[in-house]
Amino acid sequence: MSAVTVAKKEFEDAVRSRKLMAMTAVFALFTFGGAYLAAQLGEFFAEISEEGAQGTLDLVFALQTPASYLVPIIALMVSYKAICGERESGSLKFLLGLPHTRNDVVFGKVLGRSAVVAASILIGFAVGLGGLVAFVGSVSIVDYLLFTLITVVFGLVYVCLGIGISSLTRSTTRAAVGAFGLIIFFWIVWSFLLQALLYYVEGTLIPEQYPGWYVGLASISPDAAYGSALGAVFDESALTMASAYGIEDLPMIAEPWFGFVLLALWALVPLGLGVWRFGRTDL
Amino acid sequence: MAIIKLSNVTKRYGSETALDGLDLTVQSGEIYGFLGPNGAGKSTTINLILDFIRPTTGEVRVFGLDARAETLEIRNRTGILPEGVETYDRLTGRKHVEFAIESKGADDDPDELLERVGIADAADRKAGGYSKGMAQRLMLATALVGEPDLLILDEPSTGLDPNAAREMREIIREENRRGATVFFSSHILGQVEAICDRVGILRDGHLVAEDTIEGLRDSMPERTRLRVELDRVPDDSAGALEAVQSVDGVSEVSADGTTLVVTCEDRAKSAVLRAIEEYGVTVDDFATDESSLEELFMAYTEGDAQGVRQ
Repeated sequence: MSAVTVAKKEFEDAVRSRKLMAMTAVFALFTFGGAYLAAQLGEFFAEISEEGAQGTLDLVFALQTPASYLVPIIALMVSYKAICGERESGSLKFLLGLPHTRNDVVFGKVLGRSAVVAASILIGFAVGLGGLVAFVGSVSIVDYLLFTLITVVFGLVYVCLGIGISSLTRSTTRAAVGAFGLIIFFWIVWSFLLQALLYYVEGTLIPEQYPGWYVGLASISPDAAYGSALGAVFDESALTMASAYGIEDLPMIAEPWFGFVLLALWALVPLGLGVWRFGRTDL
Repeated sequence: MAIIKLSNVTKRYGSETALDGLDLTVQSGEIYGFLGPNGAGKSTTINLILDFIRPTTGEVRVFGLDARAETLEIRNRTGILPEGVETYDRLTGRKHVEFAIESKGADDDPDELLERVGIADAADRKAGGYSKGMAQRLMLATALVGEPDLLILDEPSTGLDPNAAREMREIIREENRRGATVFFSSHILGQVEAICDRVGILRDGHLVAEDTIEGLRDSMPERTRLRVELDRVPDDSAGALEAVQSVDGVSEVSADGTTLVVTCEDRAKSAVLRAIEEYGVTVDDFATDESSLEELFMAYTEGDAQGVRQ
């Protein structure tokens, strides 16, 4: 119960953040723009394949790209200061001076801030839905809800990640470097390292057949796991690593269903580490 | 019955020792003033009591419960005003109090508490717009939630004007009359002497004195400040100063033109005057003032305190 009390306070506090409102607006703008682009692409594909616009694929084009870039930013923005910011300012002593354990505080923050991120995603996707209805016409509501659900899960993973990092340090600067460094790492550094490794092993950057280890390593990041999970749910070949790299024999790590396992690991391992450390440290 | 009991508590940060074998007992129903200069270890002690930090060695018990293992039970019965605490800028004053009430499972009326600390009119404003003094009052209101058996106040007068500090003391007295034990820290003696039953003075991680204010006064060798007017500056003024300084019982000498101010024990007065006159000058006038409690506190916390250490 104590964690729920903390969660309610966290929600009311964090949802009033101006930065969050601004980022939610940007996110809504992108999903709306994505809907427009999806409509254009749909027509383009309809012309070349003469099959007509595919509802679900439109959805993916419209929403996956803005979501996979903006949801991590929003979620980390909401979460990276959650613990260390209060430690730095001293308000944590007010919070922990009341009858809450340190674990209550961490889980309360995860709950409360997850709700904030979920609200932000729902607003962005509601606007995107409006765009899709306006530009594309018909949208499968079931697909849309599934897509939303998985994206919320994706957001929660980053909230856990952010709060895990936040409870490991007493400096907000370090937490910011850790959280946003991680994003940069997966967006830029990781793929660059993989390419370098590929070139080292295979002697070329564009092998005829991508080796399994390469596809496996490329599937590890939370963003790739999000793609895999979407692929698993929609059974949409366009989303999976198999189609991206044109190989049949996928390592387990790159299997679509394994995306959910990876998401769970990305949420629980850093959070568990944070909880463990925070419970033992001097404030 | 001991409400707070620290037994042989040592807290080290790396090679730095913040507390060194501290023994401290606060009895049920008393107002205990915890004094010491900044950096003496007061906040470290309070943080240990609240389980914000853990002792390197030793044991901390509150209500007879282990501060670390039974921290929830302790916090349920304790109201805390941490030092220099920050509010949640985006939440209103009332929200803060409501949160404390919900956290403690209490049934207080938030407006009543805000009224009591004098910020009822700001209840619906966001705490981010509060002055330091108002934030401090708000935090006091949250500490009063649930009629705690123990109030722990860390430098409670921070940011308060003299008037507000008086109101704060009045509230502390009321709480004490209700039956609450009060433990509060300060680096300013004046805030403590008016209301404390007992005072502990901390210096460099040691408790250098613990007594009632009266007891502390008695334990001090009587100190006098002697103000001496000379007819002229002695020819060998440096030698004269040195001579006065070396009189047994003199702790401080300062000169300003023909005025000499000497802090010394009572018994040294006439020896001081004789020492000055040996340098060929005449004492035109002299006056003494009793040592103030503030000076007593200074004597404990800075300079050489051997004379007062038991």
